[in-house]
Amino acid sequence: MDFTLSDPAFWSRFQFGFTLIYHYLFPQLTMGLAWFLVYWKWRALRTGDDEYNKAVRFWAKIFGLNFAVGVVTGIPMEFQFGTNWAGFTRFAGGVIGQTLAMEGMFAFFLESAFVGALIWGEKRLGPQYHFLAAVAVALGSWLSGFFILVTNAFMQHPVGYRMEANGLLGIASLRAYLLNPWALVQFAHNQMAALVTGSFVVAAVGAFYALRELHPAQAQLFLRAGTRIGLVASLLVAFPTGDQQAKMVGKHQPVTLAAMEGRFEGAPMAGVALIGQPNLAARRLDNPIELPGALSFLAYGHFGSYVRGLNEFPPNVWPDNIELLYYSFHLMITLGTIFIILMAYATFQNWRGRLRSTSWLLWVLTLAFPFPYIANTLGWMTAELGRQPWLIYSIFQTHDGYSKVVTSGDTIFTLIGFIGLYFVLGVLFLYLAGLEIAHGPDEVVTVPKEEYEAGVAGR
Amino acid sequence: MVATWYVFVSFMLIAYVTLDGRNFGAGMLHWVVARTLEERRQVIAAIGPLWSWHEVWLVGFGGTLIAAFPRLMASAFAGYYLALFLILWSLILRGVSIEVGGHINDRLWQSFWDFVFVVSNVLLAVLFGAAGGNLTRGVPLDADGNFSMAFFTDFRVRGYVGLLDWYTVSVAIFSTAMLAAHGATYLALKTEGPVHDRSATWAKHLWTAAAPLFLAISLESWVVRPDLFEHAIRNPVCWLGLLAIILSIGTLVSGLASRREKRAFVASNLLLGGLMGTGAAAIFPVMLYSTLKPENSLTAYAAAASHGTLLVASVWWPVGFALASTYFVFVSRRYAGRVSVRRDNQGYY
Repeated sequence: MDFTLSDPAFWSRFQFGFTLIYHYLFPQLTMGLAWFLVYWKWRALRTGDDEYNKAVRFWAKIFGLNFAVGVVTGIPMEFQFGTNWAGFTRFAGGVIGQTLAMEGMFAFFLESAFVGALIWGEKRLGPQYHFLAAVAVALGSWLSGFFILVTNAFMQHPVGYRMEANGLLGIASLRAYLLNPWALVQFAHNQMAALVTGSFVVAAVGAFYALRELHPAQAQLFLRAGTRIGLVASLLVAFPTGDQQAKMVGKHQPVTLAAMEGRFEGAPMAGVALIGQPNLAARRLDNPIELPGALSFLAYGHFGSYVRGLNEFPPNVWPDNIELLYYSFHLMITLGTIFIILMAYATFQNWRGRLRSTSWLLWVLTLAFPFPYIANTLGWMTAELGRQPWLIYSIFQTHDGYSKVVTSGDTIFTLIGFIGLYFVLGVLFLYLAGLEIAHGPDEVVTVPKEEYEAGVAGR
Repeated sequence: MVATWYVFVSFMLIAYVTLDGRNFGAGMLHWVVARTLEERRQVIAAIGPLWSWHEVWLVGFGGTLIAAFPRLMASAFAGYYLALFLILWSLILRGVSIEVGGHINDRLWQSFWDFVFVVSNVLLAVLFGAAGGNLTRGVPLDADGNFSMAFFTDFRVRGYVGLLDWYTVSVAIFSTAMLAAHGATYLALKTEGPVHDRSATWAKHLWTAAAPLFLAISLESWVVRPDLFEHAIRNPVCWLGLLAIILSIGTLVSGLASRREKRAFVASNLLLGGLMGTGAAAIFPVMLYSTLKPENSLTAYAAAASHGTLLVASVWWPVGFALASTYFVFVSRRYAGRVSVRRDNQGYY
């Protein structure tokens, strides 16, 4: 496909992709961190140990900042269905609107009503209600993820819809739509990945404090929870959820699976490429090192199963950027494997009581936190690039979905606006989160009153 | 069924405007009712813990609109493209200014975010006001139900109109005054000390100024869309709305005069709701009026999802709404009472 400056469909895709990838940096931490807060709050209730409450107070502040950026960057996502994807909204709004509205009505209202109570309400609410506020926020954030994933799953594997007399989509079965098997698998995979992000961030802060020999009790708490939950979540991301997700793609989007693996020729005993570069011109994978039979087994459960190649499908239903899809998928898997090894080793060292004296490992843990964000992003790129050229798989094509009345100039203009605004937002977030981390969990929640009044008097 | 969903969608939008409108108003008046940095923290604290809860009503409205009226969402949002992105960016800046202003105890830092806070709220009030004016006046909808609109064209209200013309600008001025008055009424209820006194004074002045503006807007609306008035007279909902408006004006005046701030604020909400509700009832069933040819107009019936789809949504939507109302009670109780920076040292606010 020819993407040029004057192609509005390309720019709408680019803008949606950019704003979505940026937005999702925040909810993935919200969804991951929320259960840490619930866990620590529960431990505090059970043991009466105030270290747990201190941890909650500290992380709730970072959570609040993260949540706020998530809210303000999330609203443009919903609006862009109308502004840039009017064709899609007109065609499928009756279906996807159900879950977009449910997200607002069931998830956001819950989450946003209680997030303030979680961050500032500890004294007023008392320990039990404060714990419940943490549960409400965690539930709200995961519900919101569920409804969005049902929406995406419909685009990947449409179920529960019917074609109305006017040629537009309507709901046939809400139950089938909400319990889309694709959505359930994708939800499990995605939420575990969010938990990986949360645990890497928690572990990174713990490792940083341990390296600087600050807040020893809190550092130990963060390291223990971060590495253990990190190990469990990293394992669950790969198996069974990632495995089931790949089987889902093999079953419903065989051409996508072939493109993800760079397979042009169909074959039984198909291997997984450990290394190799897809060469579209020659229709082959260059310099491959393959694990024989692995793909057949992973996708269909038998080493001898036949896996179809791209050559068996007409090129007009191939994903439109196979190289990017292939590398996104493979890099995600590589990172996921490294996460398991790192967290398993760190958990082991922590169990032996050696983690806090192994300074190289603490360095690695401190610096590793961006990689789950990258892996999450790569996973979403695999899902969304793999779905192309369809907006709703095998029903509705991407180039039919964009807003015909919006010119490419309009979209380039707003895209540049988002890039500028989001750059500033990112700098601000990192700076303020950095301040919180530098400040540490041992201090009181607020700016000390005397200092504040001195500041006011000194103006 | 379509009419019911028209009511739900209108209600969500009205709820959003009354809830977030207080924040727009408080933001616009930030500089004039609060002079010292500490007083300004008090204004932020009055809206601080709740702004995201209020903004979520916009998300609830958007989602409900896609589900119930997908064709309207598609036409209107694409047509208002640039204006909508200005709203989105203002919302982002507004939220950020509330969140980060108090993070650092520094005079310049706080003054800068106070500035962003004021400017973004003024922009939001003006843009939402102009959008409201556009709904009454109409947009250049073609035979396929599409339009694409410039910011302004020749400032006339027929044919190829722009976002801004003499009518929508007047509506923007009127709604900015209304929202500022609404915000002042809210601040008078929520604050104490000098901020409270200034807010109470501003509330009186602004509501007084809004009255002649309201008459002017009614007259202008009659010039722009005479058919709306004929329509409204025959619609019993409009008469109910009119009754709500009259009652709330009475309550508002008595609340302001007797310094019963809670009563005044409840009346202020009812008045905004009554005005928008009457407007929504008057334009029904047309959702987007065409300034080119009235027969191009997009009605609720043409814009709605199919009957079966609406029926499915009717099963779960009221449940979600009931839950949201429960949280509303929780939130209102949790944050009841006046704020004071010295006593309610709520985190960063």
